[in-house]
Amino acid sequence: MLFAPADLTDAELELQREVREFLAEELPRGTFDPGLGMGAPRDRAFSARLAGRGWLGMALPTRYGGHDRSAVDRFVVTEELLRWGAPVGHHWVADRQTGPIINRFGSEEQKQRFLPPICRGELSFAIGMSEPEAGSDLAAVRTRATPVDGGWVVNGTKVWTSGAHASDWFVVLCRTGDSTEDRHAGLSQLIVDLASDGLTITPIPFLSGHRDFNEVALEDVFVPHELVLGAVGGGWAQNTSELAHERGGPERWLSTYLVLEELVRSRPGLFDGERARLALGDAVARLWGMRRMSLSVARMIDAGEAPSVQSALVKEMATRFEQDLLERIQELIALEPLGEGDSLFERLLFEAVLSAPSFTVRGGTNEILRSVAAKGLGSL
Amino acid sequence: MSDWLLVDGARRLLADTCTHEVVQAAESDGWSAVAWEAIAGAGYGSLAELPVSDALAVLAVAGEYAAPVPLADGLLAGWLLGEPVAAPVAVAPANDLRLLDGRLSGRALRVPWGHAVEHVLAVVDGTAVLVGVASAAGVERQVNLAGEPRDSLLFEEAEPEVVHPAACDLLERGALTRVALISGALTGMARLTVAYAAERRQFGRPIAAFQAVQRHLVDITQDASLVAAAADGAARLPGLFEIAAAKVLASSAAVSATRAAHQVHGAMGMTQEYRLHHFTRRLWAWRHEYGDERHWASQLGGAVAAAGAQRLYPAVTSGSELV
Repeated sequence: MLFAPADLTDAELELQREVREFLAEELPRGTFDPGLGMGAPRDRAFSARLAGRGWLGMALPTRYGGHDRSAVDRFVVTEELLRWGAPVGHHWVADRQTGPIINRFGSEEQKQRFLPPICRGELSFAIGMSEPEAGSDLAAVRTRATPVDGGWVVNGTKVWTSGAHASDWFVVLCRTGDSTEDRHAGLSQLIVDLASDGLTITPIPFLSGHRDFNEVALEDVFVPHELVLGAVGGGWAQNTSELAHERGGPERWLSTYLVLEELVRSRPGLFDGERARLALGDAVARLWGMRRMSLSVARMIDAGEAPSVQSALVKEMATRFEQDLLERIQELIALEPLGEGDSLFERLLFEAVLSAPSFTVRGGTNEILRSVAAKGLGSL
Repeated sequence: MSDWLLVDGARRLLADTCTHEVVQAAESDGWSAVAWEAIAGAGYGSLAELPVSDALAVLAVAGEYAAPVPLADGLLAGWLLGEPVAAPVAVAPANDLRLLDGRLSGRALRVPWGHAVEHVLAVVDGTAVLVGVASAAGVERQVNLAGEPRDSLLFEEAEPEVVHPAACDLLERGALTRVALISGALTGMARLTVAYAAERRQFGRPIAAFQAVQRHLVDITQDASLVAAAADGAARLPGLFEIAAAKVLASSAAVSATRAAHQVHGAMGMTQEYRLHHFTRRLWAWRHEYGDERHWASQLGGAVAAAGAQRLYPAVTSGSELV
């Protein structure tokens, strides 16, 4: 069995209740502009309030400001935040992946320096992986770090870097050694200050005109030795581990959920009809089933397993669902989504349709995920 | 979590018993005495004595090996009567029967192995009625897409052996049994297909090396995993929400996964000599039995819409505890 059965314990259900109460008090419906899953807005103050409840850096050690809690506890909190449309943008990357990889691969000094402010919701991170010639094929990165006295000098260009303009740091995958026959050798991860001299951030507007993507050019950017993450030359394995944190979680099936909820809220009469009931019933069934699979992935992480195949299977199918749901909804209302629509439903649908193609691309394209899963199936 | 020893015992028994030849012979003969005696003799004939999750876990194993015996019906009959029934017994998913002065007349329809079992159970106006097949005035033999008997039994003022208010809902619990069978069959079919793609060579390499084929393997695995997760959820809390959601997913997957599995197998999959059809034909039949994906999606959609937007997500996490 690929996915062991998983349910929440009473303690985890209590946590779910606490998060629901918190959101109902902190962000009552109608008092804020909800976002679409992990694409929700940045709100430093909200991140700090979450941190105050102990809901950031949950699975990190207490001695670094974390809470020694489980991946399932983090699943419960994340699921509620995303389905509520809460502004998770400021802490999202740091909480999901940068904190865990610094904890796993970082030096004692790095842990003491970065983890406490991540757990307080202060530091914001971006992801420095993609380059013009290295999208799915990350081993093709050309950004190069050259050793100098006291550290490294970095040159290269990162693209499609979400949130770089609003973040404090990013983790850069770059080449520190010569590429031999083994393309995966000679890669390293550096923790780079986005305010560094020689670093230029230029917006790459989304197709909608919205700003999130950036180009980050690094020209002789100095990075001291103490900011090399993990082993020099160990970047590929670390990066693969980081990507595993990016896959299989609730953010992969909740990007369009709120559009459905707002449809039910704003047009209840629609569901007197059979077509709407069929679409809603099918969507709810899929959400229920995929959630159980995703929860099973979190349980495996807590058991010390590395469910990379399971994560790839979940992300691949769940992101297709996110897109399919928008098509079902548009078939039902039979109206062109308009940006000037005054209802929350119309605004969310408009935004969701324009961002939907990214769901099956970001964090590993579905083609790459199928390849990862298919290779794993042979050995399982 | 179901009883591992029990399920593992069932797996070994069914793997040994339900060989390709036995399943094939059951189709031409309309009944497999060999399979039934081995399975009933090992104590798996009457699953209604087991806790619900254990019974469904064994039933999934029956689906995984395409067991040509009415295990699901014994379980369902026991649930409907509120106590285990002597096996082999079958349940009529539909009927036009009427009970008049304690006598049963009319037809029990689409009865699994109706001609071969000893008793048939039908629900007439909310009452579960158990009657001996020997008391039937006529039997009309029919089969489903898998070649399994789905017979019509005619009764003319027959005397029922047990008449009892139905202890559960026939359609819901019937769907629950089909979810378990479909889940098991998808597991068996996924295993068969992944193994075939690794062995079958074309253009000088295993077809599993081709990305276009890998896509099918991933689709089948996702379908099987999703339905297994759903079957587990419905077994733990068999309420309307869970049963409806699980049957939506199971029936939908029965369509998509069989298509992908046949595509991987090519012409080999179209032959009687190869095992794939034991899975795909059953999946096509079970998809429709006790409500297809549209029936249950409509039920589920209606229920969650009535509960309202505020309870929509809590329903996704808590199911019939809430809706």
